[in-house]
Amino acid sequence: MASYLKNEDYTCEVALNFKQALDKIETSDYECIALDITLPGGSGMQLLKELKNNKKADGVIIISAKNSIDDRISGLRLGADDYLVKPFHLSELAARINAIIRRKMYNGNNIIRFNEIFIDTLAKEVMVKDDRIDLTRKEYELLVYLLSNQRRVISKNALISHLWSQEMGTGESADIIYTHIKNLRKKLNEKGCGDYIRSLYGMGYKLTDQ
Amino acid sequence: MKLQAQYNKISIASSILVLLIAGAGYYFLLQYVLKEQLDESLRVEQVEIQDFINTKDSLPPATTYKDQRIEFKKTGKAVPQSFKTLILYNADEKENELSRQLDFTVEVNGQYYISSVTKSQEATKEIIGVILLITFGLIILLSGLLFFANRFLVKRMWRPFQTTLSSIKNFDLNAPSAIKTEKTAIHEFNELNENISMMTEKVVKDYLSLKNFTDHASHEMQTPLAVVNSKLDILIQDPALSEKNLRDLQSIYNAVDKMSKLSQSLLLLARIENNQFSEKQEVNIPVIAKNIVQELDEWVSEKSLTVNNKISELKVDMNTLLANTLITNMIINAIKHSSRQDTIQLSSGKNKFTISNPGTQPLTGDRIFDRFWKSEYSDGTGLGLAIAKQICDHYGFLLEYEFREGAHYFSVLF
Repeated sequence: MASYLKNEDYTCEVALNFKQALDKIETSDYECIALDITLPGGSGMQLLKELKNNKKADGVIIISAKNSIDDRISGLRLGADDYLVKPFHLSELAARINAIIRRKMYNGNNIIRFNEIFIDTLAKEVMVKDDRIDLTRKEYELLVYLLSNQRRVISKNALISHLWSQEMGTGESADIIYTHIKNLRKKLNEKGCGDYIRSLYGMGYKLTDQ
Repeated sequence: MKLQAQYNKISIASSILVLLIAGAGYYFLLQYVLKEQLDESLRVEQVEIQDFINTKDSLPPATTYKDQRIEFKKTGKAVPQSFKTLILYNADEKENELSRQLDFTVEVNGQYYISSVTKSQEATKEIIGVILLITFGLIILLSGLLFFANRFLVKRMWRPFQTTLSSIKNFDLNAPSAIKTEKTAIHEFNELNENISMMTEKVVKDYLSLKNFTDHASHEMQTPLAVVNSKLDILIQDPALSEKNLRDLQSIYNAVDKMSKLSQSLLLLARIENNQFSEKQEVNIPVIAKNIVQELDEWVSEKSLTVNNKISELKVDMNTLLANTLITNMIINAIKHSSRQDTIQLSSGKNKFTISNPGTQPLTGDRIFDRFWKSEYSDGTGLGLAIAKQICDHYGFLLEYEFREGAHYFSVLF
């Protein structure tokens, strides 16, 4: 997890148990903490309470093996920013960490910029060279997701589980992702945007300008 | 037939049989004894007549007195004495009577006479009649008594059994309560109650541990799956991977995906069984269906399907999440098993939601809702419809499948 996140220009520190985690949150301020509920030596929930009691502004994503509404609600009520259920894709985690950091850094003024692409995540507007592009909801989500994982290969499965909560067979899904990527590319290119999306034999995609 | 009725039948039939045999035996025995007695009294008469002749040297007068008649007839030679039964006319009673007669030869002054002493058997007949009457009276009395005893006393004896039985009938594994038993003096029932209590306790315990097992197993699977997923996500970043490597990795991704879907589905099933969705509210089915159809829009257009949504007003009291899962699973099932350009129909009736898609032949109706059952071409988990069924069972809804006019129909009766 850490090695994946380190590739992006983040500094990433790892706490392997409850005590380490407690030391770290007491001594430093983090932009975002990915917090596993089941930590050796204590509960992640306890750490979350500790954070909020100390009025820390660290963003928190809870990572849990339990997909239960009660846990989700109690986590968010304690002040977590997001809740991610295992198993998940690292690209999903990266996208969510990005979203949290974006919100914290720009104080709610959410802008993503990538060369000539400019996205206002509040208005959900995409501009290329000051020209607005009309994207469908899924195409927009796809683009934001790709941008949150720049220069990294994202598996098709990660894209599917990000875009659709529902469970469809993998056979059908492959074609749909292909169609969506194709449409997104076309719309970007029409506005004179560079072709940044690469396909890896249809098993994954990568957005890169290198 | 009820045990009691069966027992009644046997006991009453056998007592009637015994009483009839006894009655018949009594009848013949009594008849024999009475006849012997009558014959004895006839012999006494014979002795008296002989005495009379011996002392008076003349015949006593022929008499007819009450039930007794004495006659004399001249005869040429002596004949051996004999008893016989015959029917004689009784002038007093003005009717024919069964009688017993003793013929014997007496000699008076060298002349032989046949002396006949006759006694009516009517008294015997009366006695026998009374005896038969008593016998039949006993039969009726005994039958009635047995019937009464069986009906009320035996019923009362069986009451602890009935209590246990009705308690077993009401036993629900999903909401187990202890089996109610009644203390009784009857050893067999106590033994039955003890064993049933022990058995249900064990069943409940096993069932609970089985339910928890699914829950735990599914949870425990999530973390290793997450590790596999993460490692795969890192692995595909390697630029040195060949096309073949990547295709293999794709297969692993798919397998991990499927496994995590499986464990999540099993977890959902376990949760429904464990009653973890007790929260209820009024759910608007048309709104849910519309949202789901929208959500699945890409799959619909990918297969060039048409969704004909004709659901009107339909509100149900249930858990929102389960309602969503139920409708989603049914719609996904229809989409998955449709061919290109098919039309999927959503319709509603009174407390009824129906979804249909064209098909060529009916499915094996009794197995489609089984866990892990799926058609040959399905690449799903085989749990979608099982979950739908479980949700319906949970609320007592009816989930039905029907094949008519070239289409599969799945309906929920709320």
